[in-house]
Amino acid sequence: MSAYILPIIFVALFCYSKYKKINTYSTFVKGGKKAIPLVIDIFPYIATIMIAVALLRVSGITILLAKFFSPIFTFLGVPSQLIELVLLRPFTGSGSFALLNDVLIEYGADSYISRCACVILGCSETIFYVTAVYTSQTKVKRLLYAIPIALIATVVGSVVACLICKII
Amino acid sequence: MVVLSICFLVFSNPSLMLSTMIGASSDALKLAVELCGVYMVWLGILEIVEESGLSQKLAKLLHPLIKWLFKIDDEETEKMIALNMSANMLGLGNAATPMGIAAMKRLDDGSGVATHAVIMLIVLNATSIQLLPSTIIGLRASAGSATPADIILPTLISTICTCIVGVFLVKICGRIREKLKHKKTAIRIKNNGGRK
Repeated sequence: MSAYILPIIFVALFCYSKYKKINTYSTFVKGGKKAIPLVIDIFPYIATIMIAVALLRVSGITILLAKFFSPIFTFLGVPSQLIELVLLRPFTGSGSFALLNDVLIEYGADSYISRCACVILGCSETIFYVTAVYTSQTKVKRLLYAIPIALIATVVGSVVACLICKII
Repeated sequence: MVVLSICFLVFSNPSLMLSTMIGASSDALKLAVELCGVYMVWLGILEIVEESGLSQKLAKLLHPLIKWLFKIDDEETEKMIALNMSANMLGLGNAATPMGIAAMKRLDDGSGVATHAVIMLIVLNATSIQLLPSTIIGLRASAGSATPADIILPTLISTICTCIVGVFLVKICGRIREKLKHKKTAIRIKNNGGRK
């Protein structure tokens, strides 16, 4: 079902643009031209944040952090097997998806743990990556309370996720 | 953070440091090449949306919401934010990025400190509502789940929770910040008056 949504939107869009008498081909090309300059602009930021994340993981700090935070998360009702996932999620998208895959295989796709993991991943975002990329083209240096709020909201969402999975 | 992790590595396995850094940056390059392709498609589509006047309609539709969230009144920025939010809701994070960056450029006041609207945009993107977690459903299906789509409802509920908590915290902090600013200016005025 969900696979049909994008194709339908695209076809509708192309028909609409024809109806508005726009040259779809040249407009598409015109927009696409901006892609490579944009990527060149944001590449250093992506690379730096990925280097920092890789260093964090290899050095074992994430494991220490997981140990440190695990009492808090167990208290809030997050299964202890998923704490690493919750902590890794704000930093890396591909890394947390790889971890999700491990969880799915280890505990079975329909187990409580796996469903929890899926919902947690579905309600959260790669906060640090998003922030780095979005602010890369501005002069903003001090973000004040942006990241703490995003993290708090994500933790609340994860706790709610585990609760709901228990009920449903 | 980086310094701390390097210090840790020195104790555990110093030879890993450089290889990790280089490995990560070449991963980033791979990602960047992929993003070139993704952005090419989405920026092309975006241009069509823009030229056909659809983005204006979308912005008008979301105008009350955006005005309440961001406290701005600028049509061009509103258009970008509207597109960014819609793409995020469809679960197209990579399609939302170019629009988000464009909106961010327009919201930045150049003072170096994040304004209320900048913070709101970051938090909205970091806690965005996802209507269809298609990647996750796909992963579940390939792991042999009997009902891969039954996570949609729980995901929807918790993603809405995340978003609401984020938005309200930003709103509250924005209020407090405004009050502090008022106090500061009030004190300054008082002091100036006293000297005179």
